[in-house]
Order: sequence, then C-alpha cells, then structure tokens
Amino acid sequence: MKTDADPAQVFMRRVLRLLRWRLWLAEKLQPTDWQATLLWAALAGFSGALVSLVFSALSEGVHEFLTGSSAGVVESMRQLPWWACLMVPAGGGLMAGLVLQFGKRLTRDQSSTDYMEAIVIGSGHLPIRASLVKSGAALFAIGSGGSIGREGPMVQLAAVVASFLGRWRRFTPPQQRLLVACGAAAGIASAYNAPIAGSFFVAEIILGTIAMESLGPLIVAALVAALTVRVLTNAAQLYHVPAFRLGSPWEMGPYILLGVLAGAVAPWFLRTLRTAERLFVATKLPLTLRLVLGGLMVGGLAVWRPEVCGNGYSVVVDILNGSIRGINVFGFRHIWLAVLVIMACKWIATAASFGSGAPGGVFTPSLFMGASAGYLFGTAVHNVWPQGAADPRAFALVGMGAFLSAASRAPLMAVIMLFEMTLSYDIILPLMLCSVLAYYTAKGIEDQSLYSESLKRKAAEEPAPALPVGRVADLMKSDPPVLAATAQFAEIARVFLSVRVNNLYVIDEAGRFLGVVSLHDIKPYLGDPEVAGLVLARDILHEDFPRLAPEQTLSEALGAFLGITAERLPVVEPGGRLLGSLAKGDLLLTLVEKGRPAAAR
Amino acid sequence: MNSPTDLIARPDAVVLDLPASSGDAVMQALQARLKDLPAVTDAAGFMRDLLERAAVSSVCISPEVAMPHARTSAVSRLMLAVGRTAGPVAFDAGHPGVRLVFLIGTPKVQVTEYLQLVAGVSRLLKKDKVRAALLAAPTEADFRAVLARGLQE
Repeated sequence: MKTDADPAQVFMRRVLRLLRWRLWLAEKLQPTDWQATLLWAALAGFSGALVSLVFSALSEGVHEFLTGSSAGVVESMRQLPWWACLMVPAGGGLMAGLVLQFGKRLTRDQSSTDYMEAIVIGSGHLPIRASLVKSGAALFAIGSGGSIGREGPMVQLAAVVASFLGRWRRFTPPQQRLLVACGAAAGIASAYNAPIAGSFFVAEIILGTIAMESLGPLIVAALVAALTVRVLTNAAQLYHVPAFRLGSPWEMGPYILLGVLAGAVAPWFLRTLRTAERLFVATKLPLTLRLVLGGLMVGGLAVWRPEVCGNGYSVVVDILNGSIRGINVFGFRHIWLAVLVIMACKWIATAASFGSGAPGGVFTPSLFMGASAGYLFGTAVHNVWPQGAADPRAFALVGMGAFLSAASRAPLMAVIMLFEMTLSYDIILPLMLCSVLAYYTAKGIEDQSLYSESLKRKAAEEPAPALPVGRVADLMKSDPPVLAATAQFAEIARVFLSVRVNNLYVIDEAGRFLGVVSLHDIKPYLGDPEVAGLVLARDILHEDFPRLAPEQTLSEALGAFLGITAERLPVVEPGGRLLGSLAKGDLLLTLVEKGRPAAAR
Repeated sequence: MNSPTDLIARPDAVVLDLPASSGDAVMQALQARLKDLPAVTDAAGFMRDLLERAAVSSVCISPEVAMPHARTSAVSRLMLAVGRTAGPVAFDAGHPGVRLVFLIGTPKVQVTEYLQLVAGVSRLLKKDKVRAALLAAPTEADFRAVLARGLQE
C-alpha cells in the first residue's frame, strides 16, 4: 500500500507501462529507419503532386487571362490577331522579368534554386522564397505561350516542398538530398503521369545509381504522386496513340538509322540552346528586356506558325494521330512539309525562350523535336521503301524516345517514359533499339547532356563541395540522446520513450563516453518495479560497444557496422569525449552517392 | 549455471544469523564467502566495487531486503551469496531494518545474465510469504529449501 501511494513509484510505473506499449507497437509495426524513409518519401510524393497540380492550374489561368481563351496554347494563339500574337509572349516575358527583378530583393543571399544542384553538389537545401519567385516568373513565361515546358517548374516546386519537409524534420544532408530527389521524382511523375519514368529520371540522370537505397524511396514518391494526380484529375496516359505493328523484322533497319539520326541531331539541338543563351547574354540587355526580346521572337514566329507556342505537346499529339494540317504546294497538301516548317520554327522558338532566360523546362520540347524528326524520317523512308516504314507516325513515337535518350543521356528512362506516356507496347522493340543507338551516337559527338553542363559548371564553381569528403566527422550528427551513469531505470525508460533509438549512450560528468544501455536488455524487465528501483545505467552498461573516431573514413565506419545490429554508432574523440553519432542509413546513402559515376555528379 | 539455485549450491554460499552491525560489514562478511573462489580474480577490487556501488545509490529492494551488487572486472563469472542477519541492519538512511542480503558479483560483459539474476531474486522476494518463510527458517537447510521452492514456482 505504501509503495502504491509513493508518487515517484506511481510515476515510474506509468513510464514503464508507456514504454511497454511503445515497444509492443514497435514490435508489431516494425518501423525501421527505411520504413520511415519510405513514409517521408510518400509524403514528399503527395505534396509534390499537389503543388504540381496547383502550378499547372495557375499557368492555365495565366494563359486564359492573357489570351482570353481557355482552349489549348496553340489553339488560343491561333485565334489571336497578329499583333496580339506578338504582344502576349512579349508581355509574358516582361512580367516574368519584372517578377525576377523585384523578387531579387526578397531573395538576396539565398542559395541556388536548382534542385539538381541541391541533390548533386548541395546539401538538399532549396530556398523557398527564391524558388517561389522563379516559379512565379515561370508562370508568366509559360502562360504567355513561351516555347518552354511547364514540367521544369512543376518538378522544381515538388522538390522545394520536399526540401522544406526535410528541414522541418531536421534530416541529415544525405537524407535531405534523398527527400529532394523524391520530390523531383514526384514532380516528373505528376507532370507526365509516369511514375516509373519519374523514379528512373532522378535515379539515372541525377543520382546516377539505381541502388535500392535510393530507388525504393523514389519509386514510392513517384507512385504516390501519380496516384494523387489520377485521383484528383482523372488523368490517363499523356499520349493516346493508334496501335502500331511491326510488319517485319526488316523494319528494324530504318529504325537503326533513326536511332543514329536522333543521336546526331540531339546534341545540335542542345548546342543551339546554349548558343542562344550566350547570344542573349552578349546583347548586354537587362534580363527583363532579354525576356521581352525572347517573347517577341516567339510571338513573331507564332504569327505564322502558332504551333511554336507552348511545350509542343498538342503538336506531338497531332503528329501521332495524323491530324496535323498539311501545307499546300502546287495543289498538293504536304503534311511532312508542315512538320518540317513547324520543327524549324519550334527549334528557333525554343532557343529564343531558353536563351532569353525564361524559366521553364526543355524536356517536352525535346519530345517534340524527336517526334518531328522521327516523322520526317519515317515519311522519307516510306516514300522510298513503303514496307520499311509502313506508318511514319510509329517513327515519330520512336523518335521521341530516341531524341529524349540522346538529349538526357538516360536511355532507360527514355524507354520507360515513352512506354508510360503512350502505353503502347507495340513500339517497345524499335524504341529500345533506337534509344540505345541514339544514346551512344550522341555520347560520341558530345559528352554533355541536357542536364550535365550546368551541373558541371556549378560543381566547378563550388570549391568546397557539400558532399562529404569521406570522414566520419562529415556525416556525424551531434547531440545524441545521452544518460548519466547514475541514471535510474525510470529515467532510462523515459529517455527511451522520448527518442526512437535502441541504444542510449552513457557519459560521465566530463562528457566521456562510457558505453551504451540497450533497450533490448531492459525490455523483459519493464514490468518489474523491483528491478527498476535497483538498477542504474552503470549496472547494465555495455562498455565494449563499438565506437568510431571522427577522423575515421566512411569505409572504416561501414566495417564497424558489420556484424552488429546497431543503427547508430557513437563518435568519440581520442580523449574519450562523446562527439555525436553516425547513423547507418546516412552512411549507406552517402556511400551510394559517392559510388555513382563521376558524370552524374 | 547462472540460475540462483545453481549459484547458491555451494555449502558456503548461504549464511544465517550474520552477526553484522552495518551494511558494509554484512557485505564484507558475504564477500568473504566468495573471495577464495577461483572466479574471483581480485578480492579487494570486488569489495571496493561493491562498496562504491552501494554508495552511489541504494541497493535495497524492500525494507527487509538488500541486494548489493557490482559489475566488476574482479570476477570472471556470475556469483551470489545469501545471508540472513541476526537482527535488523541499517543499510542506508531509508532502510534501517534489513534482514535478508543477496550479494551479487557480475563480470562486466554479462549484462543479460545479471538482469536475469536480479529480476529472478526480486520476483521471489516480492512475495510476503517467501520473505516470511526465509526469515523464519530455523536451519540453513530449511532456508535453502524455501529458496529452492520459491525459485521453482
């Protein structure tokens, strides 16, 4: 009776009961670090899909406001008088420029907004204000019909939300980078309704690895994002295409040529974009005026061919479904001529938009270039050898994948993306062949992809990369939960309740590491108040627990984790003082990152 | 080999009617029963660690029962000695009337075994009936029998 009335005993019994419940739940649900990572990846996917949808709706709203039409970009530009065709993209450029210019005041001292940079050479930190300013400018550039894709800002925003989640949860840099990568995968999956390609886009292009440590969370984020978009918008595959049949194996011959052709053209397309960027900068005009000039160029082309506006999606759909309007020459309608003219104009328009600094993506414009090139090539083959290219539209479809593979240097992602966007399995064999050939051809011509150049440039500008150089101290998390050697059982239980760890570090008055108390040891005795009243941390200390020195290499740290089940190891300085802890998850993520090819970094 | 029954199987592991006047003296008397065993590699160190642990925090689990213990490098295997004092002994300010003393020595690496032993003995001594029987046992054989019965239940 006496012990029941003792408040300290009552408190201890409550704490022990709570700990028993927590352990029971933990055992039933088995929440490991990786499960927690997948959960956060799912949240990044969900929030990424939401911001992508919001951006998409806003860009359509801006376009409707500027053109007064809710029809597609190309159709609404077609309905405008010539002067409005000129003014709308120029006005959009002006607005984008003003947003960027005034936004600069709000975003002074903020780091780069580039999500790839944040993942590859940064700490996963993306500044929110600067990203919002850039996305606001992108709304005007895209909404006004700029020849640029909206998927870029959608991915950017999804990555920013993921970065915010990581900072909120105080993730370590490797975890934060992975979460931002998950956000990017979610953005791609939302933009193209392509969850597998979204995962592989980030894995192949940005991370340069398909190790499950990173691919698993990417897949979860992408699928949650795709699911969210499908539930909220009834989205289906992006391109509805007729069934294409491979008539005979001989048709693979022309496809081989198409692969080489796409691989040869794609580097030139990228070079044009970079040249345009240099030319615009060489004008020495302020950014706003450069954007206006870029808009005027797009508008000027749109007066004649409104198809140059937007990301090229609707034109690709028309090419694939054979509904593109031909050009009359000598009384004959030539579809191929129309495609050739649109392709040339679109090439210039994309260079103008991109070169002027309009924030947006060139992923979808690349698909357009591939579709046009493929269609033109297929038509040419069909005219010479009809059996070799029974339907030039199939060549357009395969050309998209080949061009994307060559431009992004990610053939696997290109094949998967094309398949997901069209759900057409008929073209998978020529698509695989062309994508691989285009990849090698492009690589032979130029060792730079759509994404690698800016990353390499920024990596070169960064003298001290945020990526850990390979010492335990670089990855260590300071201030781990600790216990005094004289901590009583109730205190031990309370700390175990407040933090999700299996081992608590015990230190002396001087902060020297003494050993660990294991949750596994005390678990069977949580119902014993007598044991609880008697045992101190020092009584159940594992003094032989492995420990790391801050100067040890990550490979040595990995060796220390072998053979033990601990998820963290203490980092102890030579004098014995506890400095922090190193998590196995962080270590594996970093080693995966460090192991990727140099080109991806 | 680590069950309480095994540990007190030796003839000198149990001692009744210890003529002790203080907690430290009781501990010393019980430690003396163990110090000549081969597993005790440093008898003085063992005693020092027992006293040091008792000074840090109470080693009593009830008004009548104390469980002085030490995780020490001075022993190479788990060991237990049990004593009943002739009269109440003050182990610390909060426990002036201790009669039953279970002295434990544990090698530093045997955390699990130590906890098993402490929990086993604690559960046994939580029972009023067992405590009363131990206090009333007229002979060492009866005392051992009560312990053995209680541990088997």
